[in-house]
Amino acid sequence: MSDVDLGLATTWFLAARTMACGGDEPSVAEEAAAGLFARAILGLDEESCIAAKRKEHMQALTLIDCMAMAGQLPRGTADQVMTGVMMIAYAAASMQPLQVRWASMLASAMDMSEERFQRCCVNARVVASMLPHEQEAVGG
Amino acid sequence: MVDLTGNFDFLQKYDNRVAHLAAQAERYVHSDPDAALFKLRLMVETMARTLIEMQVPELVDADLSVMLRSLQRSGLLTRREADDMHAIRRDGNAAVHGYDSTTPTAMRRLRDAWRLSRWYAKIVKRGAKVQASEFKPPLPPAEDASQRAARLRAEALEEAVEARRDRTREALLLFGDQDDITAMRWRLRGELRALEGVAVAVGEPIVDADFVALVMAMDLEQILEHPSWGRSSQDAKADVEAQFEAFKAAHSEAEQAYLHERAKLAREARSGA
Repeated sequence: MSDVDLGLATTWFLAARTMACGGDEPSVAEEAAAGLFARAILGLDEESCIAAKRKEHMQALTLIDCMAMAGQLPRGTADQVMTGVMMIAYAAASMQPLQVRWASMLASAMDMSEERFQRCCVNARVVASMLPHEQEAVGG
Repeated sequence: MVDLTGNFDFLQKYDNRVAHLAAQAERYVHSDPDAALFKLRLMVETMARTLIEMQVPELVDADLSVMLRSLQRSGLLTRREADDMHAIRRDGNAAVHGYDSTTPTAMRRLRDAWRLSRWYAKIVKRGAKVQASEFKPPLPPAEDASQRAARLRAEALEEAVEARRDRTREALLLFGDQDDITAMRWRLRGELRALEGVAVAVGEPIVDADFVALVMAMDLEQILEHPSWGRSSQDAKADVEAQFEAFKAAHSEAEQAYLHERAKLAREARSGA
């Protein structure tokens, strides 16, 4: 597990948890979407995903830290993270005001233009529409 | 002769059909693990159908995975029960599709089924107190040294595979089993509210919240599929499909290797019988 992978996994899971927690109670759809996205789309290995979620690692980090880390990501990776964050909203088929705020803050931290953001949303919708089938393929 | 322990006797007064299937699985666990897994899968399907009739009757003819997903979404099925049911579905399917199973696999799923049965009884009787004694593994028939060695190897393999699956599952979940999701949600929402206050005080960031809300409400494909601007969602879909396929292939390869190794052990156990 490299520091880069751990950094990306940490940024992803904190951003994704915040998106899920910004809405109603995190749903099964949101929960299941996040890990599959990390493994299949971000290409993170199991070790990085598990290490990033360890309590002692994650609980010291704030959303400001998350935005700072997101701002350091290469452009392509940042787009993927944004896609995943928006996918969580599409998977739950709703978006609450705090989730809207989080998407906006994160996109700005990534210095994302409106066009880039819209592109991420198209991809997010595509991924969200494929998720139920993919989750089943890896054992529910 | 198998020593039956009557682990599922308590279930008869809640659902006779489910109790009957469970008792059959218990009877076959040593003599015919494939049949035991098949019965357990049928048991889970029967449970799911009953629960679906209570929750989403229009899905009563759907296949098992669709029913389980729907029950999870409705909140009736918690993560723990869903995991147990999916594990039984997966191993039951493998048995139905001709992969030889071993007694340790069937025994593990029998224990899962027993745990599920207690939960299920409470649900169908709406919170009734369920009296069930602890699970007692059915005792194996007498075995010689080679049968015992084959069983121990199968048990070791089963342990290793379950540990690997647990790890895969842990990596895939957004929250860990030990995480206090309520506390985490409270903390993150508090931070989001504080950020909201800052954003309002200093002016909207580049991608402002109104824009995010607008984009979510729009039909995005129509905008971005315009020939002079953006990328088609079909291209995006093809890219994502390729990534999912690569991940599924790696996952499936590991599962296939396990099924073949388990089938080999099952054959060895039979030839030593």
